[in-house]
Amino acid sequence: MDYSKFTYAPSNKIINKFNCDVPLVNARQIYVIDGGVNGTDLPLSLNIDKNTQIKDLLQVISVRNNTSDLKKEFNTDLIMEEDSSARFLMCSHTMSGDNFYTDEMIKIKLEKNSNADIVYMQNEHNSATHHFHFDINLEEGSSLKMVFMTLHGGCILDDIKLSLNGEHANCDLSGLYLMDGNQRIENRIDLTHQVPNCNSSQLFKGILDDNSVGHFDGIIRVVKDAQKTKAYQANHNLILSDQVHTYAKPQLEIYADDVKCSHGASTGRLDEEELFYMRSRGISMYEAKVLQQMAFVYSVLKKISNEEIRQRMIELADARLRGNFPGCTKCAQKSFMI
Amino acid sequence: MEKSNERTNIMNKMLEIKDLHASVGDKEILKGINLSVNEGEIHAIMGPNGSGKSTLSAVLAGKTTFKVTSGSIKYYGKNLLKLSPEERSWAGIFLSFQYPTEIPGVSNINFMKTAINEHRIHKGLEPLNAASFLKLMRAKMNVVKMDNSFSSRGVNVGFSGGEKKKNEIFQMAMLDPKLSILDETDSGLDVDALRIVAEGVNTLRKPDSSVIIITHYQRLLGYIVPDIVHVLYNGRIIKTAGKELVQQIENNGFDWLIK
Repeated sequence: MDYSKFTYAPSNKIINKFNCDVPLVNARQIYVIDGGVNGTDLPLSLNIDKNTQIKDLLQVISVRNNTSDLKKEFNTDLIMEEDSSARFLMCSHTMSGDNFYTDEMIKIKLEKNSNADIVYMQNEHNSATHHFHFDINLEEGSSLKMVFMTLHGGCILDDIKLSLNGEHANCDLSGLYLMDGNQRIENRIDLTHQVPNCNSSQLFKGILDDNSVGHFDGIIRVVKDAQKTKAYQANHNLILSDQVHTYAKPQLEIYADDVKCSHGASTGRLDEEELFYMRSRGISMYEAKVLQQMAFVYSVLKKISNEEIRQRMIELADARLRGNFPGCTKCAQKSFMI
Repeated sequence: MEKSNERTNIMNKMLEIKDLHASVGDKEILKGINLSVNEGEIHAIMGPNGSGKSTLSAVLAGKTTFKVTSGSIKYYGKNLLKLSPEERSWAGIFLSFQYPTEIPGVSNINFMKTAINEHRIHKGLEPLNAASFLKLMRAKMNVVKMDNSFSSRGVNVGFSGGEKKKNEIFQMAMLDPKLSILDETDSGLDVDALRIVAEGVNTLRKPDSSVIIITHYQRLLGYIVPDIVHVLYNGRIIKTAGKELVQQIENNGFDWLIK
């Protein structure tokens, strides 16, 4: 599938129905409806050609819409050929509160010296279950930056298997999850340094309220000869209620002897001293809490390299922390109304 | 002195603390404080370490770590103890912290914008637009000679001791309080910073605004001259006098008062 098939503006009827107007200048958009591209049965399979540098942002809006068959299984492939580069915003939505169950296989391959910058937004209804299986491979000199924004969803499972197969490859994974009610998020990351001289970084942060459950189960494997590996992993959780469960399992498995690796996890509450300081300046308890939560997640948000997307995600996160279903009012929910 | 008395007669009573007792856990720290502050007055509260000075300021600002067990605090005739910290701020009370809290991730500008707009909403005013806010912020940073680069930095994060205290006075300038409580604002300041901070406080004074300065030393009181000086010891005010008391304490320490 050729990226140039992406349209700047939706053209046909089906696409018009999902009138996403996320304010992204020059973004090319493609709609994946129940796993099929632009209303067809074709799965999304994107190939960025050798030596191609795509300036425009490519936005993939994947929605589950058809309620006659709630179980969806589909694949998404993304291949970055040698020396190519591109930026993506992948949005995953359910269009109604039906019990969608989605099983999605996402293969991402970065060939030699390619570069991908991906923001992956997950924003689905409380009744939705979405199991993402990521199979990511990085070849020599390639670089992947990926930020997960899990804003809403009944049960979101991210199984991420990532392998650094060529020297001097870099990957920067980060994630933000904002859960409440009975929502559940699981990030399971299995990242392997197969060769020397690669860097990897993982930063996953979440805020959990009510009865929500968060899992982080991450492992960094460094094989025997993968010397000069630099690997970093962190998971931090902020919990707002006594009923929240968070499980953090940061793990390292190192068979090489000349590496720099670190891992860590923390779970905490809002800081009373900071709240008091803000309140003493006339910031109400409510706003003080929102400010502090935004401050907590900012280290993930600032990893979003595109200014426009970052601003948009900050707005959505802020709305989410104020108890709204951010629902991408300008995008999926709007089309839901149609 | 005569002039000062004359002023007192026409001045409104701002703060009235009566037999205030406060404790943390089982430990009683304030053991019956009586203090009244009129509009336009500067009070200094001095005293050795552990006498309860910071507890008093925290209780005035509404910190719940300290439990008020008896007594009353009236602010313009209203029960201050019933108000939340933010309500006290809206009512015009400002505490300059001895150890200003660092808030990583919240920029000074965002912090102040939120605070100012909440104050304005409370007064029934429209929130300030970005341009007017920035203009106000720049003007007030200038009061304490703070560099504009501080506005985008996290609140107090990585600030030196002096920068933190300047930031407190900058916030005071922004919020334009009626009653400012400066809790050891002079600690950790070099001579130049002390002068800048003190000049800032003096610039911000208005005929109807009052200041309570909590300090160990005379240093700051050389710049901001108090009308009334109190000595707090072991949870009680054991001496109240005019500004001449400052020099006596500087010369003789607190021992002669405690005995």
